[in-house]
Amino acid sequence: MDVSALSAPTEPSLSRDLQNQLCRLVARVAQTLMQHGAETKLIEETSIRLGTCLGLEQVDMAITANAIVITGRVSGRCVTTTRRVYDRGLNMQMVCEVQRLTILAEKHLLDAAQVEQRLNNLVPLKYPRWLIVVMVGLSCASFAAQFGGSLLVCLNTFVASSCAMAFRQSMGKRHHSPMVNFCLTAFVATMIAGVATTFHLGRHPEIAQAASVLLLIPGFPLINAVSDLVKGHINMGIARWFFASLLTLSAAVGVSFAMWLGHLWGLW
Amino acid sequence: MTLLMLFIKQAILAAIPAVGFAMLFHVPAKYLKFCAILGAFGYVCRSALLQLHMPIEWASLVAAMLIGLIAVYWSRKHLIPRPVMTVAAVIPMVPGSFAFKTILSLLALYNHGFDTQLLAEVLENGLKTLFILGALSFGLAVPSIIIYRNRPIV
Repeated sequence: MDVSALSAPTEPSLSRDLQNQLCRLVARVAQTLMQHGAETKLIEETSIRLGTCLGLEQVDMAITANAIVITGRVSGRCVTTTRRVYDRGLNMQMVCEVQRLTILAEKHLLDAAQVEQRLNNLVPLKYPRWLIVVMVGLSCASFAAQFGGSLLVCLNTFVASSCAMAFRQSMGKRHHSPMVNFCLTAFVATMIAGVATTFHLGRHPEIAQAASVLLLIPGFPLINAVSDLVKGHINMGIARWFFASLLTLSAAVGVSFAMWLGHLWGLW
Repeated sequence: MTLLMLFIKQAILAAIPAVGFAMLFHVPAKYLKFCAILGAFGYVCRSALLQLHMPIEWASLVAAMLIGLIAVYWSRKHLIPRPVMTVAAVIPMVPGSFAFKTILSLLALYNHGFDTQLLAEVLENGLKTLFILGALSFGLAVPSIIIYRNRPIV
């Protein structure tokens, strides 16, 4: 075996510094995508595409429920970096923007420095709080209408779910645990919807109650979980599925406590 | 004619939650209309299939698949990832009332002791919830599993 061929590797096309920088950039892109709720395949694909089009020979990554490990390779020289991921809340606008940066870089319209600069300038879109409250209230009211509720029941649902949404936002702002948040929000929604029926606002408390807790559907975790599972990221899929189940369970606990209290006080 | 009116009413009632939840997910304002259209289309499509006596799980699967396929076209055109539109669009079809009934009968089962009627309700509603949810989320993944197998959509 010719040992000299092994000990004298070819000169890497990329300097060590540049390789480090690119790996950091790729790690940051992956971290941003994960923090704002992208599915695992999208995170992996986008990061790998960005890394390879900016000059890394191969990018490999391991994704776990709350950390990412990335290795960028150039002529047999590897740089590995790990990033802890903290949940920043769902934000599809950030996911869109990061994907767009990758596509621009792939078409050679941006270089690494420009991608980094644009990434620094990204500001997560926030709709005004009152607007979300009103829209979510309307959404739950139309769920009530789909379930066959009368106009009064829909009105009741609107009030209950808007109050619950405002409560959920203020809990979220104080960084409470999502489980506690979901439990208390479900309690608030069920209580308000139930109490309103005792003032003869609609005759079916169940419809208003069922519709007003629907603002707590963990839609993104559930759908990301299934798409991770069917696309081969089993561990991420299980983690997300379990998280979604926990959220649903917390909401159920809140609902059942409100139900028990209502029966105890003879409200419904 | 009454069927048409029903579909129009359902389309409007499905578009509102789709937009509401899209705003909760912070979808950019210019893509909210896609969420509304897909949400309304999916819901009406499912209820048309239900009119033809298709079981609700299969109808949900077909509706979610159609949403996923249409979203492929728009995501390639506007260079945005598909979940931006599709997740909010299936929210109106989420089996919320079945899930709520499951919890209620589960609570009744616990409070009033064992009863075959209650147990049947828990199982029927629970299974229905689970199957519909599975069908919805699997249906959305169908285009990338079957058509775009190892390449990115956008």
